[in-house]
Amino acid sequence: MSDFLELFVSAASSGCIYSLVALSYLVMIRPTGIINFAVGEWSAVGLFAAFFLLSNPWLPLPYGVGIVLAVAFSALIGWGTQRIAVRPLVEKGAPILGPILALLGMLVVFRESISLIFGPDPHNVPAPFGMRQVAIGPFAGTPRDFFIIGCTAVVFAGVWLFFERTVWGKAFEAVALNRKAAALMGINLRRVTVAAFVGGAAIAGFAGVLYSLTAPRDFLLGLPLAIQGFSALVVGGVGRVEGAILGGMILALAEQFTARYADQVGIPSGLSLGVPFLLMIVFLLVRPTGLLKPKEARL
Amino acid sequence: MKRLFATAALAAALALPAAAQDTIKIGVITDKTGTAKFYAEPVTDGTILAAKSINAAGGVLGKKIELLIEDDQNKPDVSATVARKLVDAGVVFILSNSSTTATQQQQTVSLETKTPQLTPTNSGETLTTQIENPYFFQTGPLFSYQIGTLLAYTKAKQYKRVALMTDNSELGQLVAKSFKAGLEKAGVQVIVEEVVQRGATSAVPQMQKVRAANPEAIFQAGVLGPEMVLFFRAYHQLGMKTPILGSYNLSIPLYLTMAKGLMDGIVIVDAYDRDKPEVKAFEAEFEKEYKRPAFNLNAYGYDGVRLVVDAIKRAGSTDKEKIRAAMQATKDFTAIIGAKGMKYTFPPGKRTGFDPNGVVVRLIENNTHGRVVHAGQQ
Repeated sequence: MSDFLELFVSAASSGCIYSLVALSYLVMIRPTGIINFAVGEWSAVGLFAAFFLLSNPWLPLPYGVGIVLAVAFSALIGWGTQRIAVRPLVEKGAPILGPILALLGMLVVFRESISLIFGPDPHNVPAPFGMRQVAIGPFAGTPRDFFIIGCTAVVFAGVWLFFERTVWGKAFEAVALNRKAAALMGINLRRVTVAAFVGGAAIAGFAGVLYSLTAPRDFLLGLPLAIQGFSALVVGGVGRVEGAILGGMILALAEQFTARYADQVGIPSGLSLGVPFLLMIVFLLVRPTGLLKPKEARL
Repeated sequence: MKRLFATAALAAALALPAAAQDTIKIGVITDKTGTAKFYAEPVTDGTILAAKSINAAGGVLGKKIELLIEDDQNKPDVSATVARKLVDAGVVFILSNSSTTATQQQQTVSLETKTPQLTPTNSGETLTTQIENPYFFQTGPLFSYQIGTLLAYTKAKQYKRVALMTDNSELGQLVAKSFKAGLEKAGVQVIVEEVVQRGATSAVPQMQKVRAANPEAIFQAGVLGPEMVLFFRAYHQLGMKTPILGSYNLSIPLYLTMAKGLMDGIVIVDAYDRDKPEVKAFEAEFEKEYKRPAFNLNAYGYDGVRLVVDAIKRAGSTDKEKIRAAMQATKDFTAIIGAKGMKYTFPPGKRTGFDPNGVVVRLIENNTHGRVVHAGQQ
């Protein structure tokens, strides 16, 4: 049983990172319909910005300040990406595939820029947390795990409140439900798009900062993370914020529990590597909207 | 005046090929931008240093050597293309400093164009067995020597049940396969074999399984830095005390910064002994040139060029066939790499030149690659 709970904490902290990446996709998809596979590179931007700020000997920053600045920098990059790769295409009336492909191009630009600036070696982002196991009640994990879980809970609560309780959030929802009608009702579509990309990039950047707590990472980290986040999104559904966290958790639990227990029921544990893809395929076939369906419009 | 120009132009035209012939070209394939960069580039630094020092001492056959360096991004297809480019540029030898899989692909070119080729670092067993290529040579410490040496080191402990830990990279799988074969041949049972996936966020599930299986030791065969750090972190998180015996991948100093403080007490395979006089001289020369301390990978590249130049000297010619024959005849060539007194020799019919007893076991102490605690497979 203690093994089980220990593994649960480990899987939950991995799931939190996947969930945040899924949330980043979701925040952009809802109002714009654009699937942005560059989210993984934005996580890399967040991680390397944190590395730069926190391991710079001339400018020793407290951890909290460093990561807030790294997230702010990611948000800025999100704004810039939107300005360069999305807005001109949307304003010229390009079909939705236009910005999606442009963003895929940006993915390569980000990845190669990071490799040029920071080189190919994995980098360790300094963090003030130990790696010794501690227990909170029956749950045992590292302080890093608990920090990741706590931060993710705060982000999700914030985004949920934004969508449910603020006028801006309602505007997002309105645009998601009917773009034209929303524009006619006086919602500024351009501003909603900007907010979606800035918010999405900040969330992805923060996911990158949390990801840095797991191991040193190199410039190639983006794509695997983008794929995990996308799988989580497919499982949970793009309709609701809760879907992202549910999807991320299911994915990570499935992944780590098969790695741990699959061979005890006669399935080779090597197959756990395929679990995310298997889940994605099953969901796309059986329940393409994901587990949680979007709420109906309240009239 | 016109005539003078014409004469000058003619002289220049004649001089050009003459000037080009003044050097002996050696091709170097390295990875400057891909996943193997962090071990290929240090090797190439050593290669460049050796060429420089040989040229300073007068070169070979009265000519200077010229390195033509190409980046293959550790992509096998690119690797074969740049190998062809080098052959077209007139190299008499190719040094392969990129990864095992890239080197394998380059062999299609060296075989077809009859260009001698040497990898001073690659350890894959299959490089000389998969295709019968008399132009290809390898002086890296083979995986089977590595596991053999680790087993010799642990002989007194008589391990019967051990764990094997690797990652899902191609090379990591290859090392694990060789290690497993070596262990089983020695009658040691691998009771649990775990893989950390590239891009994983935790190795806790794998290490829980290892802990539950309770092996006498853990043999580490992975090559992906971040994933191996996950392994060490999970090992410490779960409070494990099982001895870890690592592959030579862990001898790369970068691990000491990536997994700082997590590797003390681990023994690793290496082919480098800092107490050797040859190593001391090499390290002094390297530090003078690059203003930073040398480590094992630099020495592999240094040895590579020395071996090639030695073969050219004995061949007495830049004829590729003669150089190949001279390389095959290499015997008792003093190495910087390897245990004390190690020499490179290609036994008749074999193209692997690393001494089977040249691998050493080093202990990691105080977050540094410390002393040699064992050498050889006996």
